Amino acid sequence: METQGVRAVDGAEALAAPPSASRARPSGHLWELDVLGRVWRFFTSVRMALVLILILTAAVLAGTLLDQAPPSVIADPASYEQWLERARARYGFWTDILNFLQLFNIFHTLWFKLIIGLLTTNIIICSINRWKGIKTTVFGARVRMSETFFQHARYNASLAAAMPMTTAAERVRRALALSHYRVRTETDGSSVAIYADRNRFSRFGTFLSHLSIVLILAGTVVGGVLGFKDPEFIVAEGATREVGMGTDLSVKLEHFTDEYWLEGPPKDFRSELVIYENGQEVKRGMIRVNSPMSYKGVRFHQAFFGQTAVMNVTDTSDALIFDEAVPLAWQTREGSRPVGSFDLSGQNRTVYVIGPTSGENDPLIPAGEMRVEVYRRDTGSLVAAENVSQGTPKAIGDLNVDFVRESRFTGLQVVKDPGVNIIWVASALMVLGLAMLFYFPHRRMWALCKALPDGKAEVRLGMTAQRDVSLTDEFKRLRERVGLALGIRPDGGRTAGGGDDV
Amino acid sequence: MSELSEYAFVATVAALSTAILLYLVNALGARSLRAFSLADGGSLATRSANGAYTTAGRYGTILAVNAFAFLTASLVFRTIASGHGPFANMYEFSLAFAWGALALYLYFELRYRLRILGLLVLPIALGLLVYATTVPSDITPLVPALQNDLLLTVHVAVAIIAYGAFTLAFGAAVLYLIQRRDSVRWLPRSTVLDEMGYKAVMVGFPMMALVVILGALWADIAWGTYWSWDPKETASLVTWLIYGGYLHARVLRGWRGQRSAMLLILGFAATLFTYFGNLFFGGLHSYG
Ligand code: HEM
Repeated sequence: METQGVRAVDGAEALAAPPSASRARPSGHLWELDVLGRVWRFFTSVRMALVLILILTAAVLAGTLLDQAPPSVIADPASYEQWLERARARYGFWTDILNFLQLFNIFHTLWFKLIIGLLTTNIIICSINRWKGIKTTVFGARVRMSETFFQHARYNASLAAAMPMTTAAERVRRALALSHYRVRTETDGSSVAIYADRNRFSRFGTFLSHLSIVLILAGTVVGGVLGFKDPEFIVAEGATREVGMGTDLSVKLEHFTDEYWLEGPPKDFRSELVIYENGQEVKRGMIRVNSPMSYKGVRFHQAFFGQTAVMNVTDTSDALIFDEAVPLAWQTREGSRPVGSFDLSGQNRTVYVIGPTSGENDPLIPAGEMRVEVYRRDTGSLVAAENVSQGTPKAIGDLNVDFVRESRFTGLQVVKDPGVNIIWVASALMVLGLAMLFYFPHRRMWALCKALPDGKAEVRLGMTAQRDVSLTDEFKRLRERVGLALGIRPDGGRTAGGGDDV
Repeated sequence: MSELSEYAFVATVAALSTAILLYLVNALGARSLRAFSLADGGSLATRSANGAYTTAGRYGTILAVNAFAFLTASLVFRTIASGHGPFANMYEFSLAFAWGALALYLYFELRYRLRILGLLVLPIALGLLVYATTVPSDITPLVPALQNDLLLTVHVAVAIIAYGAFTLAFGAAVLYLIQRRDSVRWLPRSTVLDEMGYKAVMVGFPMMALVVILGALWADIAWGTYWSWDPKETASLVTWLIYGGYLHARVLRGWRGQRSAMLLILGFAATLFTYFGNLFFGGLHSYG
């Protein structure tokens, strides 16, 4: 009972499937209880697919027109609050409404994923639904068609052949085969039925393109579950940093170089990296924007770069407690100055290092100096702040701080994504499927050679419209070829009906 | 070389403008011809009118082919001068878009012997060229992300074909809406226009899929992220989905004619949004 609806849909014969096959109703009188069938039909509905695609379109339009908060901001409620404050300047009164509707983070919301999930289900069920029909069309097409078929076929012709039926049939077969058609015949006492087709596997193109969409989504899920991504992996020149994320890798930046065109725009960024696994050097090389480096599935991409300040801190007893390059990878809200920070846990201190605004004369921080601000780590209150010139140590609160020199850091995107291979395979299938479908469309021609009482033969040809592409040219070409094979001049012979001349 | 490219550009604009005039004469000639022959039942005068109208059309085609050749030359010279394909800025991409529209249009004209679409597509191509003159045309050096010649050249080449095909589909859709009751004598029958739109989408849809995929591949190599919901990549995906919606509505729900034509117009709007998107939003593609 529950499968009735499914069968009604599955049984739709591909040959002459009405466009509304998927809307077929089960004939059973218990259709009210046919839950599975109803759900199934719900998901085969093209209207649903169209509605989903339209919602996606609207969501994406909103997502491109409205500012979207970056994932790192979303992850941290405090910085999201700050982000919202800035958004308020732009969207004013609407900010809260937009925020409530989650429109500042459209692509990562549950409802966006839900729509994508529904569309995937939709695609899977539609494909299963059509599988049988496609298989029948490709492997089990009927060879013999009725008289009425030839009368009503959109493209049809009738040719008189001055030869016996079997000879005529053989010539028709040859003509079609020479046109690169695959020909099947069925003979009975008074007629030979012929079916010829070409590019029949193109029918699977629909299936391939649907399958590939499901695979692409699967690939993103695999990547999301088994992979990781660190878009802001910063390493200072000379420093070594652990990758973490469950790997035993660490990365050292030997050297960073940036080059510019004479006209000003950047020409090249490159980082010389060394990769260590459990402390052992395993790989070394140079990466640039279009050529990443990869080790055991973990890829290192050049993403950004910036300035560091090598800082040197001693405590009251003159013991060296910090000696590292501090990447100034962020910007202060006022004055857009490059800023970085480090923690001195033993001292309960957090130290901010602020550099001069680049490219201008900074009134607060002259070139060659760094502003150093020391905060209590637990309360966040300011302890002391001073400008420090390069090479001249200075006491700031209970610390003695030296700005040793400037250097560079590189910003890498560190990615592991095992799903990406699935995605490229799926993409290839998609393009293959679409190319088959649209550039090598399936063509089918039926013919019937009938013996006439006078020992001659009548040959009827019929072609149905493939989807709705005009086959006028193709039919004309085939008819002429068949005609020639039967000894009829191109302009001779009766031809009937059909077709648009485009 | 870049001077040669500019001369070829000027020649393109001249040839294209003249071609548009001739296409117009051709279409109007066809109209007066029909009107005349209706009144007169066909006469010697009709035949000479007929001759004039096809002559205008034939020269129109010749000029359109010339414009196409000049534009090709302009792009080739520029490629030689700059050392990379036409994808570094809006100027280069406008020329390339116009090239795609012309290429696809000429292919369809020769294949289906239908000049009427030119009446819409050629002015669109001219519009793109005129737009190109309003943006800086200096040869700009490539920023690091764009230094992936092969991948980007293919990406852009395929995009050009897809956009060209969608422009053609748009032309067919607009003419369809004018002709939907088959009341305009000098236009082809509405079913023909409807089908032209479909055929153009058949060419463009797989190409657009390839555009999105190659874009993702490039992003993966350059940034380590094949998809970041960057406005430009998102817009191109949506464009593709709209044409996907068009195909499904047509094949599965039998949409024809007006509704189908509206989808093509929506699709072309999305294409333009994708193309001019850089002007509205930032994002990774914002070097344009
Ligand atoms: C973004 C997602 C989708 C893509 C890219 C896609 C792609 C395609 C393509 C290219 C065709 C061939 C159209 C033609 O011959 O003109 C097609 C046909 C079809 N699609 Fe989809 N499709 C998608 C989603 C769906 C969904 C959600 C459904 C279910 C409602 C569906 C059901 C079908 C069916 C039943 C056919 C006709 C198959 C046939 O005639 O053999 N598709 N699809």
